[in-house]
Parts: sequence; C-alpha cells; structure tokens
Amino acid sequence: MTVREFIKTIFFVEILKGLALTLRSMFTPAVTRRYPKVKRPVKPGFRGLHALAKDKNGRMKCVGCGLCGAYCPSKCIYIYTSDGEDHTKVVDRYEIEVLRCIYCGFCVEACPFGAITLSEHYEYSDYSREPFYMTKEKLLSNWDKYFAGEKGKNYFKKFWRPLSEDFRTPEGQAVFNKIKNAK
Amino acid sequence: MSDILNILITEETLNMLMKIGIIFLKIAVVLGITLLHVAYATYWERKVIGHMQVRLGPIEVGWHGFLQPIADGVKLFFKEDIIPANADKPLFYLAPVIFMVSALTSLSVLPFFDGFVIADINIGLLFLFAMSSLGAYGIILSGWASNSKYSFLGGLRSASQVISYEIAMGLSLVGVMMMAGSLNLSDIVRAQHQYPTGMFAIPQFLGFFVFIVAAFAETNRLPFDLPEAESELVAGYFTEYSGFRFALFFLGEYTAMLIMSSIAALCFLGGWTIPKFITDAMPLLMNVPGIVWFLIKVYAFMFFYYWVRATLPRYRYDQLMAIGWKILIPLALFNIVLTGTLRTMGVL
Repeated sequence: MTVREFIKTIFFVEILKGLALTLRSMFTPAVTRRYPKVKRPVKPGFRGLHALAKDKNGRMKCVGCGLCGAYCPSKCIYIYTSDGEDHTKVVDRYEIEVLRCIYCGFCVEACPFGAITLSEHYEYSDYSREPFYMTKEKLLSNWDKYFAGEKGKNYFKKFWRPLSEDFRTPEGQAVFNKIKNAK
Repeated sequence: MSDILNILITEETLNMLMKIGIIFLKIAVVLGITLLHVAYATYWERKVIGHMQVRLGPIEVGWHGFLQPIADGVKLFFKEDIIPANADKPLFYLAPVIFMVSALTSLSVLPFFDGFVIADINIGLLFLFAMSSLGAYGIILSGWASNSKYSFLGGLRSASQVISYEIAMGLSLVGVMMMAGSLNLSDIVRAQHQYPTGMFAIPQFLGFFVFIVAAFAETNRLPFDLPEAESELVAGYFTEYSGFRFALFFLGEYTAMLIMSSIAALCFLGGWTIPKFITDAMPLLMNVPGIVWFLIKVYAFMFFYYWVRATLPRYRYDQLMAIGWKILIPLALFNIVLTGTLRTMGVL
C-alpha cells in the first residue's frame, strides 16, 4: 500500500467523493414526469389504439380483402363479409381483439387501401374485457375521435409505408369492371 | 373532614403536585413534538433521498406531499393486523412495545435547551446507553416470536451488531466524559460552552468519528442495515409484522435516529450553545433561543443520516463485524488513552 493509498483509505476519499456526487445530484432538477397530470408527448408515428379510416364522404375505406387479418401475427383481426347487391363485397363485421394485439403495425402496412390505422391514443384501461373487443362501429368512431381533421390526412402522408396519399389502383392494372366504372 | 383535608393538603403536597403536573406537561410537550418530528422525518428522508436520486419524492398528497406522513399513518392504522399462526403471541405483542418504549424513554434525559429537561439525572449518558441496549431486546424478541426464518436471522444479526457497536459507542463517549468531567448531559453542554473551541467535536474528532459510525450501526441504518437487509431477509426482524405494530417499529427506528442525532448534538456539537468566539464576533446571535441551535444541529445530523443512506451500499456482515471490532474499538481505546494523556499534561 503506497502512502497515497493509505491516506485515501484513512480519510475516506472515495466515500467523500460519493457524498459529493449525491449532494450535487440533489440540486439537479428531477426527471420525474407526474404522469396523469403531465402526459408524455406522443412521438410521431406512435402505434396506439386501432381505428378504421373513413374517406372524404365519411364511408369506411375498408373493402374486406382480409390482408390485415392474414398478416396479423397474433391473429386478432376477424373480418366477416357477405355478398351485397351487384355482387359488391360488404364488410359485415370487422373486429379486433385489442388485448391480444401486439401493436406491430403489420396490418397497417398490409392494407392496400389505407383503411386500418393505429392512433396516438394509449390510455384505455377498463375494469372488464368487453370494452377491449373492438367492433366495426367502435373502430369507426375511433377514427372520428383520434383522427379528426388534418390529423387523419397527415397520418397517411407521414407515417404510411410505403408513403402515399391516395390509394387508387395504378392505371393499367387488372381490376374488376364494376370497381373501375365506379371511379 | 376539613381537618383531614388540611392535614393532607399542606403546602408541601401542593408543591409536589405542581411539580408532578409540570413534569407531565413537559412529557406531553416532548412526546407530541418528537412524534411529529418522527412522522416528518420519514417524509423528509423520502424527499432528500428522492432528490438525490433525481426523483421528486412524495408530492401528490397535499402541498408538495406535505400530508404524506398523515396519509401513511391512517393507512397503517386501518391495515389488517396479521399474526403468524405459530407465533409466540405474548412476545409478538410485546416486542414492538419494548422497542418503541425504550426509544421514547431516552427522550426523558435529553436537555433540549438550557433548563428544559424532563429528568435532569446525573447519569444521563449511561441511561441513554442502557435504553438503546434495551431496544435490542425488542428487535431480538420480535425476531424470535415471529417464528419465521427471515425475522429470526434479522433479530440475531441485529443483536450481535448492536452489542458490538455499543462497546465502540460507549468508548467513543468516554473521551467526552473525561473532557466534561460529568455524565449529566446538561453539564456536558455547559463544559463545551466553557471550552475554547465551543464544541467537543474538534478536540474529540476521533471520538466523534467513532460515534458517527457506531450510531449508524446502532440504529440499524444504512450502510449497516443488515438486520433488515431487504435483498436477503425480506424486511428482517419485522417481516411478519403488519398494520400498526409495523408502524411502531418504524416509529421506534426513527425515534432512535432522532436520539442518536441529539446525543451527537449534545456531546460533540455543543447542544443548545454556539461557540463563544462566534457570539463574540456577532453579539446579535446571543438573542437566538437555544432550541434553535439545538434543532439545527439535530437536523444537520439527521440529514447526514439520509445523505449517507443515499450514497453508500450495504456492507457485508463480516465487514461490519471487522469494522466494529478491529477498527472502531481500538480507535476508541486509543482516543481514550490520548485524551487522558493530554488531559494530564494539561494540553486539552
């Protein structure tokens, strides 16, 4: 043990250094965020509660192709369709079991029409399981709640992968006649 | 009838009743203020440690969490009182009471300011040692009576720790006794006021150091909180306690801390006085009441407790014992020899 080490041991230099550090940190501002009062700002592109997008006319964008349900790793999207008038496909039920969702966002990427979205809303705890079973109506009303106004438009501009604003079928692609005529 | 009354109620008995009444009043005041201090010591500790860890500490209940101790007390009071099935019930009931009572009894000999002491006895310092040793009974009995391995280990650890550090603490204060020539705490404070440096902490720096370390171990505080080492013994000796019995242990621990801080303030930091050279330089400070200086010193020592808790990790048990027996006791003995030699030479 050198003289310096001996002096260090006797006068507790290391402990005094530690005490100085804790005293200094006492006067630095706390990093605590008082959560229910001060909310954490949501980062752009946050993946929260699901919503079904509506188009300009307020109609559901979803056509019931079922790609989202096929992609879903936890298999929590259930889609039931039926044959409507003129052989159009009618989405009867579109349901998401939110408690099983892992928020990977694959459904969003899979959707060819920009119909399913993940909102910035993340505070939806409840006392029973039923409120977490999202039906079509609930998902559509989520769109009105969390994507009102510009927010809904910007969502597709900024966070949709691949980036696109309108989800029209490319010209020259083979499509069903009736849909082509509708546009 | 009136004759008997006249015989019974003489001036002497009236005087005695007055004295007893005054003592009861003093006890009520001291107990009330101390328990309030103890309650807010927990709040203050959580605040200090919170800010040292760059957190906020309690802040939701009341203004800056100021009602937190009251909320805690109410919560503990209405908690379910669970007693283990195979517990030794009489001892289980008795243990927290012994712990709390021995801590509160120590308050009776502490002079808070000049002349304000409940029992001005000549062996005040010895009485304090006796009471802090009695507190160890509460701990070891709770460990035994709970019939749980964690409690038992905690109780054993605490007993051996308190006994080992009791020696070092007693020896560290021998130097103070030699300097003051008295065991009466008020006399020790007065002797310090007469002394040129005004505080025994300066000539008795070795004793003061030993006392600080021993006081930490004696009150089972970090870095020597092995009896309640959370990571290995759940909560140590009070693992099986719940509700208000648990609160009694908590109160006892903080009262013990307050008393250790008071002993440090009285024996080493000059109690309710400040050094003469300061009052000579600033005569205005003479007007400040003594209780203010006393409380400042006690609070400073309490803050030191929290500060060390926020800084140091726990020692290993053999390290704890090694520090106690191999460093602190020889150091305290050396201090006694040094003080005695210097006293006889007339230096101190």
